[in-house]
Amino acid sequence: MALHRVSFRLRQTVTHVRSLHTSGGSQQQEAVAAESEPEPLSIFRTQENDPACQSEKHFGQYYTLPSAHVRTVFPHGLPMRYKQQVKTFNEACMMVRPPALEVISSLKKTDNSKPAVRYLFYGLKGSGKTMTLCHTIHFCYTQGWLVLHVPDAHLWVKNCKELLPSSFNSSRYDQPLQATEWLRNFRITNEPFLSKIKTKQRYVWTKRESTEEGSTLGELVDQGITRVKTSSDVVGAVMKELRLQSGQPESDFRLAVAVDGVNALWGRSTIRKMNNTAVDPEELTLVYNLRKLMKNDWTGGAIITTLAQTGAVYTSKYSYLPKELLGEKGFDSMDPFIPVSVPNYSEKEFESCYLYYMDRHWLQYPHSRTEDGKKELIFLSNRNPSMLERICGFH
Amino acid sequence: MAAHTSRAFLSLGRINVPGLGLHKSVSRVTYSTGLSTDSSKATTGSPQKGGKKVLSKKYKREPGDPRTELMPVDQDWTAVYPVATPFIPDAIPLPVRMGCPVKGGAPPEKKGNLELIKIPNFLHLTPAAIKKHCEALKPFCTEWPSALDTDAKCDEHFPIKVETKSYVSAGPSIRNPAARIVHLSVKLSSLNLNDQARKKMLKLVGDRYCKDTDILTITADRCPLKQQNYDYAMYLLTVLYHESWKIEAWEAEKTVADMEEYSWEGSLSQENILDVLVRMKEAGEGEGEEVREQLLGRREVQEYKDSVTRLKNEGENESTMLQYKEAVKKVLKL
Repeated sequence: MALHRVSFRLRQTVTHVRSLHTSGGSQQQEAVAAESEPEPLSIFRTQENDPACQSEKHFGQYYTLPSAHVRTVFPHGLPMRYKQQVKTFNEACMMVRPPALEVISSLKKTDNSKPAVRYLFYGLKGSGKTMTLCHTIHFCYTQGWLVLHVPDAHLWVKNCKELLPSSFNSSRYDQPLQATEWLRNFRITNEPFLSKIKTKQRYVWTKRESTEEGSTLGELVDQGITRVKTSSDVVGAVMKELRLQSGQPESDFRLAVAVDGVNALWGRSTIRKMNNTAVDPEELTLVYNLRKLMKNDWTGGAIITTLAQTGAVYTSKYSYLPKELLGEKGFDSMDPFIPVSVPNYSEKEFESCYLYYMDRHWLQYPHSRTEDGKKELIFLSNRNPSMLERICGFH
Repeated sequence: MAAHTSRAFLSLGRINVPGLGLHKSVSRVTYSTGLSTDSSKATTGSPQKGGKKVLSKKYKREPGDPRTELMPVDQDWTAVYPVATPFIPDAIPLPVRMGCPVKGGAPPEKKGNLELIKIPNFLHLTPAAIKKHCEALKPFCTEWPSALDTDAKCDEHFPIKVETKSYVSAGPSIRNPAARIVHLSVKLSSLNLNDQARKKMLKLVGDRYCKDTDILTITADRCPLKQQNYDYAMYLLTVLYHESWKIEAWEAEKTVADMEEYSWEGSLSQENILDVLVRMKEAGEGEGEEVREQLLGRREVQEYKDSVTRLKNEGENESTMLQYKEAVKKVLKL
C-alpha cells in the first residue's frame, strides 16, 4: 500500500519536475497547447494508446493500457513479472515494437473470406514474445474481435492434478480443473459476445442435462463452469462453435485465436496414466480440440501463436527456433505459417526502456544514472528485456 | 697411529723390528715420500697403501672448456650427432633451459639437467642429416613417373590409395603387430554409381565416409598379415560396389523416415499449401488434377517449395527462416 502512495507522489513530482526542466522554446509551445496536452511529451512515451493507430514513428515508445482493458482482456494472459511490475508502477505500459506492428498491420488487412493465417512469434528466451502477443491481443480486442486466448499451453500438458477418462470418447482424457479455469477467464474477456452468439447444435452432457440448439454461448460456458465434470467437453464445444461460425456471412464477429507456448501441443507431456505410461498430448481432450483450431480450415480470423521454451518439458534450455521446438509433426501441422522473429532490444528500444525505468524510479542507485552505469546494464543484460528488468531491480 | 709403520717396506738396510713401540725415528723409511707420516699431524688424512704404487695425491684435473666453445659456427652437425644419442650439454651449443622455474627465476640451465636427458631428442635428424640419408638412399630408388606431376592426375589414374605402416626397432623380435593394419581410401566420385546406388552405398558404409572430402576409407586389421588385410580391403570394396547396384524387393518399402534428404513432392507441406490455395479459390474453377498442376506451376509455389526444402535440409538459421517467411507471404498474398 505504501508503495502505491509513494509511486503516486513520485509521479506527481516527476511531472512537476519535467515541466520545469523543459527548454525555453518548448515551454512556449506548451503554454500555447496547454489545453490540448496537459502533460509534456517525453521521448519514451507516446499518447497513442490505440494499437490500431500506432505506426513506425512510435517504435520504442511506451503506450499505456487502460486499466479496464487490463482487467478484461488479460485476466490470465500477462507474464507474471509484468503483472508485478504493473502493480508496482500502478500503470500498465507496453513498448511498441516492430514484430507486433508487423503482425497488426497484416491483421488489419485480413480478408474475412480467406482461410485464417497463422503467425508464430519466435525468439530467444526473455526477448518479449509473450508481451508482443499481448500487444496483438489488445489490438484485436480494441477492434472488437472475439479473443480466444490460451495463456500457456504448457499448463495443459504438465502438473495435472485430476485426470478423468473422457465421457465423450473413451480413449481420451479430461482435465476438469484447467478447463474450468480457462472457461472462467474466457467469460471475463468476451462478455459482450456471450449473449450474441448462438449454438448451432444440440449438446447432450448427461441423461438429464443438455444444451439445446439456439442457446447462447453464455449458457454453454456457464454449464461448463458449474458442472466441472463436463468442462473439457464444453471447451471443445465452444471451440467448435466458434470455428464453424466465424467467417460465415451471418455472424458479425471475427475470431482471434492466441496461443502462447504452442509447441506444447505437439511435444511430450509429463502426465502419467494409472499404469504409469506417459500420456500423449493427443489423448488429452483440451489439446485435441485446440489442435483442430490450429488448422487453417476456418475463415474469418487469425491465429497468432508464440513459441515458449520457458515452461516446456523435455526441451533444451537453449533451443528457440521454430523447427526445434515444434518438432517435425508440429511444423507440418502449422505449415504454412508466417514466422516473426522477436529479437532483443535494439539500441533505441534499450534507451527507451532505460528512461522509463529512470522515470519510474526503478533504478535506485545514482551509479545507474551515469554513462558507466548504463554501459554496465547493457553488458550485464545484453539488451535482453527480461534480463534487463531483473537487473534493474538491483541497480 | 704408529702401528701401521710396521708394514714391510722395501727398503735397504732397514731393520724390521716387530712393532714394540718403535720410535718413529727408527721406522722412518729412507725414501723420502714427501708425505709426513707423523701421527700427530693427522690432518693429512690420506691413507698410505702399497709400496711404489702409492697413489699420488688425489689429483683433480681442472675441467677444460666445454666442447661448445671450440665448435666453429659452420661445422658439420651430422658429425656431432650422427646417431640418436642422449642430450649432452657440453656438445650442444644452445643455451636451452628446461624444468620448473624457481620462484622469480628462470628454469634450470642445461648443465646437469636430467629433464633434458630423459626426453627423446631429434638432434640426429636435422635437415642436413636427412639430406644425407636421402642421398644415400637414392641409388636404391626408382624415379617418379614424370607424367604424374599434379595431384589431380594422380587421383585420376590411381584413385585407390593404400596406406600401411612398417616398424623397425631393436629388440628380441623384429615383428610388430601394428604393421598389419591397412587403410584403403577412395573417392566415391571416381566410382560409377547412380543416385540409388550411391544412397545405398552410403547407408552400407556408414561412418567410414567423410562428406566434406567425399572419401570412403576402409580400415582392415582383422587378419594377422598385412597382405591378407590388403586383400580383404580390396574384396570389401568390390563387394560394396556390386551390392549397392543391386535392387532388392524390400527396398520399395522405403518410408519417409528413411529418406536421406527431404523432398517436397508428396509431402505434407505440398498437401497443405494446395489445400489452402484451393480454399482461397486462387485457381478459379476447375477439377482435381488440372487445378493441382496449374497451382504447382506457379512461381510463388515454386519459391515456397524451394524455401521449405532448404529449411528442412539445411536446418534453421536466420536466412532460411527469412526466405521461408517471404515465400509464405507471397503465396498467401499478404
